[in-house]
Amino acid sequence: MTVLDTGPEVTDDQVASIAQDVWESFLALALVPHPLGEQAADPAGPTLTGCVSVSGSWEGSVFLRCGADLARSAAEVMFDAEPGGLSAEEVCDALGELTNMVGGNIKSLLPGPSRLSLPSVAAGNSYTVRVPGAVLLTRTALLCGSGTVTVCVWKAVSP
Amino acid sequence: MKILIVDDSKAMRMIVTRTLRQAGFAEHAVLEATDGVEGLATVAAESPDLVLSDWNMPNVDGIEFLRALRERGDQVRFGFVTSESTDAMRETALEAGALFLIAKPFTADTFAASLSGVLAA
Repeated sequence: MTVLDTGPEVTDDQVASIAQDVWESFLALALVPHPLGEQAADPAGPTLTGCVSVSGSWEGSVFLRCGADLARSAAEVMFDAEPGGLSAEEVCDALGELTNMVGGNIKSLLPGPSRLSLPSVAAGNSYTVRVPGAVLLTRTALLCGSGTVTVCVWKAVSP
Repeated sequence: MKILIVDDSKAMRMIVTRTLRQAGFAEHAVLEATDGVEGLATVAAESPDLVLSDWNMPNVDGIEFLRALRERGDQVRFGFVTSESTDAMRETALEAGALFLIAKPFTADTFAASLSGVLAA
């Protein structure tokens, strides 16, 4: 996967810092840079991907992806729920809100004015995310325990 | 006092409620609404003392919700709790009549600092 030379718009370190702040504040979980960096593979097996889009002076989207087990654990912390006590809808709600927070804070670094979409969440196995008409600005791989979390920032490009 | 939390995310409504308790506001009753439409109806029916609203919501978003309240003459104390916190948004929020804007992610200390003066008034 090719990552565009980002220039000053948003950096991998900024994305990592934002995601770490969200994880520590709301989940009390450490999120550390993946030792394999850009070479880290996407989470394997059942995964959830949250997405928010930015439209306006800057156009693009932010994707947050993690394993289904990690998403469920995070949701249980957010809901203060017993293990296994949440519905799939509640897990998606929690991951959507995590994506919204990460995306909203990334949007604050980008040229404005612009609007942030409501989050959407997809679940599945072994899928690839493609964004037509966009280039990948950053792909940030992090680790929460043994689970990989990736945050991808895509920028729309003029045809 | 009654505090109305308006957010389309159930997880976030629970976190805001929990953070209010952690920040020392456990004695206040908490009401919930999922968007600006429900928020307008709940303010009319329950007359809360403070509204804590998300900005980015379906149907009627947070700034539309606040403006609708002020247009109908409702001066309920109002603050945003939102994942976006640019200077332009803060300016827009204050011009519309919001008292503060708390950025997500937040801490109990942030809530205490923003709400102490508001709830004491």
